Amino acid sequence: MRIVKLLMLVLLPVVATLSWRAWGHHAFSAEFDKDAPVTLKGVVSKVEWINPHAWIHLDVEGEGGQSVTWMVEGGTPNTLLRAGIHKNSLPIGSEIQVRGYEAKDKRCQPACKANGRDLVFADGRRVFMGSSGTGAPKDGSDPRDR
Amino acid sequence: MNELIHSVALWLDTHGWSTALHESYYMYNWIESTHVLTLMLSLGMLFLIDLRMLGLALPNVPARSVAQRLNVPMLVGFTVMIITGLLLFYAIPVRTSQSLWFRIKLVLLVCAALNAFAFHRRMKTAPAGWDLARRAPPGLRLGAVLSLVFWALIVLCGRFIAYDWFDCSGEPSPFIATLAGCVPGQTQF
Repeated sequence: MRIVKLLMLVLLPVVATLSWRAWGHHAFSAEFDKDAPVTLKGVVSKVEWINPHAWIHLDVEGEGGQSVTWMVEGGTPNTLLRAGIHKNSLPIGSEIQVRGYEAKDKRCQPACKANGRDLVFADGRRVFMGSSGTGAPKDGSDPRDR
Repeated sequence: MNELIHSVALWLDTHGWSTALHESYYMYNWIESTHVLTLMLSLGMLFLIDLRMLGLALPNVPARSVAQRLNVPMLVGFTVMIITGLLLFYAIPVRTSQSLWFRIKLVLLVCAALNAFAFHRRMKTAPAGWDLARRAPPGLRLGAVLSLVFWALIVLCGRFIAYDWFDCSGEPSPFIATLAGCVPGQTQF
């Protein structure tokens, strides 16, 4: 009995931590629309290198030629660094392409929002920019998806 | 009032340490994880005490002994939880101070503190031998139920701070905007 209790004591926090991780900082479906995938090609105008989610601001040419500002949510600065994206790799004015999903809130206030899945640099390098296990669609962008 | 809160938050946001935490690779994650882990410690102990009062846990151990023994780890967890919570606020002062969930959470924290204070007074004035019974006297049982409810709601509100449903940047309805403390014309979120 004592061993069972000890095991419980050790296992419970581990299970709790794992399930917490699986939930991610926030669940994908609470804010983003899995049925509205977007591919955004644009110029980086600002990068908010912040916890718990970094935001890449993009100027994207919309229909009719006018520029539309998009805010693309990525993982934490730590996640992005490990994936190969850091401050110096996203200079203002650089051209990138982002695949992701639009926010459920499509009013575009103050900017259009999307959840970023992967990012293609000007040199063609493709990098996963999200967090694993948020419940986002398994679209092949996350190398850790099984 | 909301203007004042917003300007204090903007001032905190200019601090180098606040920005450093907000943009850190490790510290923010560590602090957030510690906050959640110590929450398990302090609320785990607290809930056991509450459940003992209701007769649902450790019924054969005197209630006063349960409360006294578990009080120490609970307070240790609580202290670390408060410190890490303040640091999390300090890292993101502007958005957090205008979070509807954070504001509800603060009100509930005050309620929980008042309830804890009343609970301890009732425990002191309870008739001798009360803690040997399976269930504590009605006043203490009410305090235990309120404690369970308040803290469960506090954790829920804390969890919901992560979501942007009512953020001022999303221009919520006037009613929500007033509660969340959105300042008309604000440029920083």
